[in-house]
Amino acid sequence: MEAINIFIKSAFIENMVLSYFLGMCSFLAVSKSVKTAVGLGAAVIFVQVITIPVNWLINEYLLLERGIFGLDLTFLRFILFIATIAAMVQLVEMIVERFSPSLYNALGIFLPLITVNCAILGGSLFMISREYNFTNSLSFGFGSGFGWALAIIVMAAIREKMAYSNVPPALRGLGMAFILTGLMGIAFMSLMGIDPALYMGLKK
Amino acid sequence: MGSSGYILRFTLIMTVITALVLAGMFYVTEPYALRSEAVFNKRAILSAVRSQLGGDKFDELSDQQVLDIFEKQVEQLVVNMQGEVVDGEKAENISLAQEKKKPESNRLLPVFIYNSPDDSKKYYILSIRGNGLWDEIWGNIALESDLNTVAGASFDHKGETPGLGAEIKDNPGFPAAFINKKMYNDKGEFVSIVVRKGGARDPQHEVDAITGSTITSNGVSEMISRGITYYKPYLDKLKKS
Amino acid sequence: MAENTVISAPKEKEEWFGKKERKLLTDPFNDNNPITVQILGVCSALAVTTQVYPSVVMAIAVTFVTAFSNLATSAVRSYIPKEVRMIAQLVIIALLVTIVELFLKAFNYAIWKQLSVFIGLIITNCIVMGRLEAFAMANKPWRSFLDGIGNGLGYGAVLILVSVVREITGKGSLFAGSPIEWKIIGNTSAYMINTTAEGSWFGWYANNNLMVLPTSALLLIGIIIWIQRSYNKKLVDIS
Repeated sequence: MEAINIFIKSAFIENMVLSYFLGMCSFLAVSKSVKTAVGLGAAVIFVQVITIPVNWLINEYLLLERGIFGLDLTFLRFILFIATIAAMVQLVEMIVERFSPSLYNALGIFLPLITVNCAILGGSLFMISREYNFTNSLSFGFGSGFGWALAIIVMAAIREKMAYSNVPPALRGLGMAFILTGLMGIAFMSLMGIDPALYMGLKK
Repeated sequence: MGSSGYILRFTLIMTVITALVLAGMFYVTEPYALRSEAVFNKRAILSAVRSQLGGDKFDELSDQQVLDIFEKQVEQLVVNMQGEVVDGEKAENISLAQEKKKPESNRLLPVFIYNSPDDSKKYYILSIRGNGLWDEIWGNIALESDLNTVAGASFDHKGETPGLGAEIKDNPGFPAAFINKKMYNDKGEFVSIVVRKGGARDPQHEVDAITGSTITSNGVSEMISRGITYYKPYLDKLKKS
Repeated sequence: MAENTVISAPKEKEEWFGKKERKLLTDPFNDNNPITVQILGVCSALAVTTQVYPSVVMAIAVTFVTAFSNLATSAVRSYIPKEVRMIAQLVIIALLVTIVELFLKAFNYAIWKQLSVFIGLIITNCIVMGRLEAFAMANKPWRSFLDGIGNGLGYGAVLILVSVVREITGKGSLFAGSPIEWKIIGNTSAYMINTTAEGSWFGWYANNNLMVLPTSALLLIGIIIWIQRSYNKKLVDIS
């Protein structure tokens, strides 16, 4: 039950892009067409679902004082997390290349950029600071990836339509993208304050 | 260059250098970090009696002054849920975040007793913890020696919305509103203090809520009522003696 | 949109601090600003721009990381095997960011607490990685160092500009939380007792809560880009 709560919260209410600005670089760069946005969104979900639980295991069993080394190694956290992420992204790259060459070409340089997508590392760091357990971190990984994918697909759909609009020249492209994201963020804010736990009877 | 032997050697050297540099940095900075953390936590506890420590001047206290005040004027003790004082524990080492994970009857509670410089007054600072809108909220409530009147409060949070829920910490007016509120009514029954949306009606037991942050405000009410209930056995014993 | 101009290694005589070197420092403020032109590094740091003080700390931290990661990468660039290039760069960046974190935790605990995960997110701040790839891998250490400082500061400039607007309009203060805290305008509207700060100007102004929320930063950057491109026509997006 708590896992469902965390999924809903991380996907809609505490959306990675719209309330924390994480993963903005690729969000702005790849949201020009819906097709590539769907591909990148799927890749992000996949990477999140793998890296967050793996990083949870690394943190729990290697880095903390109660882990197998019995030493406080938390200062190695950043390096180990980013290495895990880089390795996982490499894996996704290989899978995509084998099964969908067209998607591989469309994603182009953005696939390696997932490594430096703040949403991925941000997910792992939030998982630590919020002290999730293993199942919750799995559901958080899925939820935050899903929320990110949702945001980028919606954004791409809006930008495809924007191509026909008469935007002031200086605002075209990037400027408009920022303002659109801001407006989407305001729309998502209406979900703020909804507490799924309350409806599921987890909290009195 | 490019042979797998070279790559292996390069990676190995890189790993060793990085690990050594980081380990060195960690052990050099750790004592400072621990001291900073202690100052931060002690400042938050003393903030509940800030009106006794110069009001607005409280923020200007240096780190060393905070540690000195804590050393000289604050007594620490740990009580259990039955209100008995537990020996051999230091209140500053008790983390409510950890205690919250234990079953209710096994928890330990920190009590900080602030003595005014001339030893004329005692303030009991009690720590409480609860849930806000997004994440946990916590705070310290200082009671005067009648164990009823609030002498001050301080709150903090993990991730409340800036400008809304986060005002419990950012707005000095919010904790200040708790001063002189009462925990018990005239008949001596425990009623706690409620954060009331739309403005306080009962001057003794209610404070104004923060506009636009109902859940955080309710969280504060709930946290105070539950947190002080935990301390009730101890407070009752103290009153009798 | 995210491609960078790769500046190839210069053939002419190297100067210590000539015209080219100065350009490395000044370009990121306008023509090649990391945020508004290269759109790199918007990610991690915007959530900290509600107040000026954490933004200044963040700007310094990012400048430190870009400058020294550029320097270090450039110094060892000919030794890095191609296959592990990315990991090697990430390790250098992560190393520097961890140093920054340890330092902040030891010497400015309150800010460390406030910035929390966003310090770690400097690692994935695309501007750091972007400059390593685009500049440091192809240039000499000294120039890379200057490029790092320039980009860090150009990034910090936008950060601080956004945070100044947000803190004044959203909270009515400036540098709150720092030793030079300054309460200037407005009253604290979120709380029902409207406590007007002593000696404040514009006591009638009610703080705008929208400016404290994350979305306002995006709108502000949109507007900054709009203004910049109205004056700097060569940056206008043709697509």
